[in-house]
Amino acid sequence: MFEGLLDGYTRSLLIFGGINVIAAYSFYLPFKTGQVSLGQAGFMAVGAYVSAIITAKFGLPFAVALVAGGLLAGIIGVLVGFPALRIKGIYLLLLTLGFAEIISVIALSWEYVGGAQGFRGIKFNPYTLEYVIGIIIVLIFFFARLERSSLGRAMDSIHQDETAAEVMGIDVVRIKLLAFGLGAVIAGIAGALYAHHATFMDSTTFSIMMGVEILMFVVVGGGSTYWGPLAGAVALNLIPEFLRALREWLELIPVSWTNFYPMDRAYKFLHEFLDFENAKRLIAFGIILIVMMILRPDGLLTRDSVRRLRTKLRFPRWRARHA
Amino acid sequence: MRDTTAHPVCLAIEGLSKRFGGFYAVNNLSMEVLQGHIHALIGPNGAGKTTFFNLVTGVLLPDTGRIVFEGQVVDDTRPSRRTVRGIARTFQNIRLFPHLTVLETVMIGEHCRAFPSVWAALAKAVLQLPYHESTEERVMRTHAMELLEFLGLADKAEAKASDLPYGEQRKLELARALATEPRLLLLDEPAAGMNPRETEELDEVITRVRDRGVTIILVEHDMKLVMGISDVVTVLNFGTKIAEGSPEKTQADPVVIEAYLGEDVQL
Repeated sequence: MFEGLLDGYTRSLLIFGGINVIAAYSFYLPFKTGQVSLGQAGFMAVGAYVSAIITAKFGLPFAVALVAGGLLAGIIGVLVGFPALRIKGIYLLLLTLGFAEIISVIALSWEYVGGAQGFRGIKFNPYTLEYVIGIIIVLIFFFARLERSSLGRAMDSIHQDETAAEVMGIDVVRIKLLAFGLGAVIAGIAGALYAHHATFMDSTTFSIMMGVEILMFVVVGGGSTYWGPLAGAVALNLIPEFLRALREWLELIPVSWTNFYPMDRAYKFLHEFLDFENAKRLIAFGIILIVMMILRPDGLLTRDSVRRLRTKLRFPRWRARHA
Repeated sequence: MRDTTAHPVCLAIEGLSKRFGGFYAVNNLSMEVLQGHIHALIGPNGAGKTTFFNLVTGVLLPDTGRIVFEGQVVDDTRPSRRTVRGIARTFQNIRLFPHLTVLETVMIGEHCRAFPSVWAALAKAVLQLPYHESTEERVMRTHAMELLEFLGLADKAEAKASDLPYGEQRKLELARALATEPRLLLLDEPAAGMNPRETEELDEVITRVRDRGVTIILVEHDMKLVMGISDVVTVLNFGTKIAEGSPEKTQADPVVIEAYLGEDVQL
């Protein structure tokens, strides 16, 4: 669809960014009911391996594999969701972390999917970008509807006070399971897309670090509105690109300005600091996160800020029409 | 009006006990609450009144004993199911949803009536045009607004629940509980933190709710309110029932005076 418009690098950037957006939404749905999961990378792994087995070992088309990967991740999500009902906060984090570890150990020791060698020979899907864009649009529609529906409101109430919600007749058990299961489905889909774009994966691909990154997308973007995961994933994916651009601008500075002490030191430090491939970019990431948490602890976007923005831009406001 | 002849006893408690460690919060309690009554539950702090509410609503499970609501044992039912059957409550330490608006808070109470199944709720949530309000939502909104008007909160509908003054938060708790269309309403110190004028309004509201056919169990320390509107008063101390009867009778009971009211109470 976008052959003439995009070079390979931008295309790849958009695809991985888009998969991150989908993964962020997979975290956001259980989070809406107050469940914080570090195991979304584990569900992505389930979707990725299941779909890759279906296309590479059985030769079925990608669309079938995508659906199957999502569904199986969802079934496992519901199974993990049952023990998750009973525990909260830090203990739920540990449970989901443990789940992701189990999946990664299975991937490592199961020879059928390549074991330690990794899963090779996954068919490349040339339409990943189109799939990613389509799925993100569907997800935004879904979450827009959810936020304005009774079910979405019920989820918010569970997040805010689970006992009070239960006593007010909200079926906390079913709604939390539904959110956890559907979140896993979305993660599974993200995993399937990833596998058929990267065409290689092993037990370390869907690591705990990925689970933490997914959590970070939502924390940075804002967990109270469905625009938050999108904003967070886009922002955090653009930061390395932004740093790279800064570095290129840095190189435009005339040498005569920086070839004396102490400017040479400062220049060298900045140049290394902004190096995209350099491990120091993690420092940049960390600093940005700390500043974010101090300035906007609720994330870039909150429900109130989105509301204000809507009024300002004169977008239709749902409430106003029915008041 | 609801047919109350089928189950003249709204709530029957049979030998109910709940222990925390070695301490009996509720100890072998038996009582009956008749349909259409305002039944007050009084006693000193720590007498087990709130624990009793937690047991009836299912927030806590009893160690022994049975809870029979309108002829059906509800012991094994989850709190949300009990609410669907018709038991609602307010909380002593206000538990509103801080980030929801007043109107949304009341609509949470409506949810279990409008969407008995999660799948129906999901389908309604997804299979709608954007910016289109479903019939269910409209009905919920209208009901919720009616309740807010009933309690005099209509002009605060768009305010955040946590921004309301204390007395109005109590009213909002009541509105949210009423939104679940209860047949039995448990009020846990509804007048706490209210000024005398607000308490008088509350008196009227509780009577009007009772007149709609809702049975009410009232835990309250404001004796003027309790003795004025109750049909029956049960007095608890250390988790056991020490007296029960009409307000006049319990007020004059020497056991009650010693345990709770005090010698020089003026009502």
